Amino acid sequence: MMPAGVKRVLPQLITLAVLVALVSAVFPDFLQLHYSDGRLIGPVIDVLKRGAPVALLAIGMTLVVATGGIDLSVGTVMAITGAVAAAAIVAGHGLLWALGLALAAGLCAGLFSGCLIAFLGIQPIVATLILMISGRGIAQLITEGRILTFNLPAFSFLGSGHLLGIPVPVWLWLAAATLTVVVVRRTALGLLIEAVGINRRASALTGINARVILLAVYMISGLCAALAGIVTTADIRGADANNAGLWLELDAILATVIGGNSLLGGRFSIPAAVIGALIIQTINTGILLAGFPTEYNLVIKAALVVAILVLQSPLLAGDLKRVAARLTRLRHPAPATKKERASP
Amino acid sequence: MINPRRYPLLATIAIFVIAYAICYVQFPYMLSTRVAGNLLTDNAYLGIVAVGMTVVILSGGIDLSVGAVIAFSGVFIAVMLRDTGLHPVLVFALLLALTTAFGAAMGALIHRLGMPPFIVTLAGMFLARGVAYMLTIDSVAIDHPFFDTLQSTYWLMPGKGRLTLIGVIMLLAFVVGHVVAHRTRFGANVFALGGGQQTARLMGSRVGRTTVMIYAFSGLMAGLGGIVFALYTGSGYPLATVGTELTAIATVVIGGTLLSGGAGYVFGTLFGVLTMGLIQTYIVFDGTLSSWWTKIAIGVLLLAFIVLQKALLRLGTPRASALG
Amino acid sequence: MKKSLALSLALLGFSATASAAQVVGFSQIGSESGWRAAETTITRKQAEQRGIDLKFSDAQQRQENQIAALRSFIAQGVDAILLAPVVATGWDNVLKEAKESEIPVILLDRQIDAPKDLYMTAVGADSVHEGEVAGQWLVDKVAGKPCNVVELQGTTGSSVAIERKQGFEKAIADHPNLKIVRSQTGDFTRSGGKEVMESFIRAENGGRDICALFSHNDDMAIGAIQAMKEAGLHPGKEILTISIDAVPDYFKAMANGDANATVELTPNMAGPAFDALEAYWKDGTQPPKFIQTDSKLYTQSDDPEGEYQRRKDLGY
Repeated sequence: MMPAGVKRVLPQLITLAVLVALVSAVFPDFLQLHYSDGRLIGPVIDVLKRGAPVALLAIGMTLVVATGGIDLSVGTVMAITGAVAAAAIVAGHGLLWALGLALAAGLCAGLFSGCLIAFLGIQPIVATLILMISGRGIAQLITEGRILTFNLPAFSFLGSGHLLGIPVPVWLWLAAATLTVVVVRRTALGLLIEAVGINRRASALTGINARVILLAVYMISGLCAALAGIVTTADIRGADANNAGLWLELDAILATVIGGNSLLGGRFSIPAAVIGALIIQTINTGILLAGFPTEYNLVIKAALVVAILVLQSPLLAGDLKRVAARLTRLRHPAPATKKERASP
Repeated sequence: MINPRRYPLLATIAIFVIAYAICYVQFPYMLSTRVAGNLLTDNAYLGIVAVGMTVVILSGGIDLSVGAVIAFSGVFIAVMLRDTGLHPVLVFALLLALTTAFGAAMGALIHRLGMPPFIVTLAGMFLARGVAYMLTIDSVAIDHPFFDTLQSTYWLMPGKGRLTLIGVIMLLAFVVGHVVAHRTRFGANVFALGGGQQTARLMGSRVGRTTVMIYAFSGLMAGLGGIVFALYTGSGYPLATVGTELTAIATVVIGGTLLSGGAGYVFGTLFGVLTMGLIQTYIVFDGTLSSWWTKIAIGVLLLAFIVLQKALLRLGTPRASALG
Repeated sequence: MKKSLALSLALLGFSATASAAQVVGFSQIGSESGWRAAETTITRKQAEQRGIDLKFSDAQQRQENQIAALRSFIAQGVDAILLAPVVATGWDNVLKEAKESEIPVILLDRQIDAPKDLYMTAVGADSVHEGEVAGQWLVDKVAGKPCNVVELQGTTGSSVAIERKQGFEKAIADHPNLKIVRSQTGDFTRSGGKEVMESFIRAENGGRDICALFSHNDDMAIGAIQAMKEAGLHPGKEILTISIDAVPDYFKAMANGDANATVELTPNMAGPAFDALEAYWKDGTQPPKFIQTDSKLYTQSDDPEGEYQRRKDLGY
């Protein structure tokens, strides 16, 4: 039998495999890898690396979604943290200050949304929408609308460096995902988050402090967004407050849902959400490699997303099971009749 | 005695009036029929899609596709009028049929597959804008005598203000939305659905049919909003109205409708739309804010409105809040 | 009562603006790039130097916000309007309203599809021409040798992207040795340019089959240059790099030998616009309908380091 962990992500893995086959059909060299200058090179590595921001965002988003919330501000928080890091570097502070300030900015952003939601009772989609709109203004205020370019190889390493032949951003999202899974599953935090998501009032009655849990998940989401912002900023060696993370919150939510997490809250899987992010990036990279005219990009993406959603939908899975059961019954009539006799 | 269930609506109206008064003190010219007429005309398309969005949100759902559907509508109208000899009225009818069917299809997917509306309509958003790109990537001007007549139809109000046709269409859309949501059996089903699908089933409403009709209605309104937007700009542009769905959601929330569904008023949304328009007008009248402060100001004002509304409601219903 | 109050207030408002300094409303698209920020900064500076009261409105990339801003400017009775249109079509109605209120409108950056009597003049570059200048440079540079070009497009559907593409294709049309082998959108952003360039490199035999890069703006080109360097390629030498805008960071890349050429799009659109307005206010002089700014070509022989120093504090 399969271990439960693998079984949970099986639909996402199958989807990813089908998608890779599909992309390989239009771009035969998709799976080709080679090793040169001490690093692995190939389209698959590009997917892993370019998928880093959405994968990082999806980690935090999964926890937020598990509480029944949603975080529209993550793209903007990426822009803020990138701007903070770049401004710190340009002002002459070192790598540690830049990283520390950026992560602190992400935590503050999460704290702000979390307070609006947990203490003022504002609905998550609206509370984070407010930060989504005004946060980009704050980021632009820091950069004054320019692209803040800097030159600090140690910082750029986080975006475009390699470690053991693999791009650093890949290590970052792997580490962040592993760490979060360990923390969430080895402590009671995961259960508490699920409890809040399933029924906030009931969880309060059992003594769970839902407000603290809500604050925690939005701050984790802010922290993940800060990491994503750092990766993006380090990658282009500049903070582009106008465009960094623009509309990425939608991709992150999509990744979470493709990962089989319910937007209504409750049980969640971070690995599945991260694979969801890779699925989205495979679509994006596949479109770029295929060489179709640009005006088809969105339609292709929409069609693939709809197909994935339909195939993964829980109700359809039920339908398929029923169809499969009927087929088995047709093929093996004997046990089926027994069942039929028993059922009424 | 005022029905306590009307408090959110009254709070919204009160905040709008107070805000307008503050604007008036600072810029006396804000209280002219010209500015009032502009407020209706400039926000006509937004108001119309917000009517559809209100019904969707009342049912506990959400529709992210509306901005893209407006863009698609503009492009569709422009391309059809350019490439075929069809009369605009026929093109409008075709378009409304298309967008209604599109909405119905999303509703069917949501119900049939048990997928969250957020994701289905997000895919719908990609699709609608993608199809707009396939029709044309360039912006296309609309040039048709009948279309021009519609565009330039307005009634002159005292003080040189203009009450335009599209402003009137928006007000009518709100009347229709009000009747649909608060006076029909379908509306009752929408509220029941927003109260929880379980309740809706117990009340004997057909969840599937209602869901399809809700998103079809939103699609219809988005199509109508698209026609009005095409009349407003006189062109079709595939990159138009990016992010309008979020503005529409914000107006519905300012209008006092609960995002969790089941409680709210269509006319509250009208004041939500006017409040949004007022924020924009105020920022333009002020004219000193930089690009970044504009964004910060919009966010802060939005937050202020929502917090103020919460505070007013708490003042209005001390016992309910103690219970809740 | 209320009506007469509003009317008298309207008159008050009108007389107040007439007596003070000239008020000009400026409807800017938004702040989507460093170039745009520089244009806004320069417009503010120009207005300040000339003693003009500038009312600024940021439309956040939306035409509907620009139309609403124009209507508000008209309602306030400004003396003139500067409009940097986000799209070429859909301005007829609001411009008619401005005309009826006798407010001159000057377009910045680009021309629009509207009857020419609806606006006073347009100050801007011809985007098709910019693409042509870029294409012509490449034609001359490769001098008949076969060359595979990859193209980074701007945002799909934006008129600048469509026109720069058109111009470039026009310039290389009669030169079968030049061929665009890959063309994708990088959304005018640095990270978009980098990601798309990486995919071009993968798709074209590790970049060895690419001879030149044409980018619709400098930001994308800067991202692409990083992608090429990380792939072990030498932009500026193995892969010729030509782009449009002339922003400071691109001059830095040129000074480092990583880029070859760029076509300037000046962010100082407001200078000529205010000149035209002042002449009009003085004695009613009507400017020509299109004031074309220079689309100057900068190559590595044009002192890129000096250009970088001259531009870096202009607000890009």
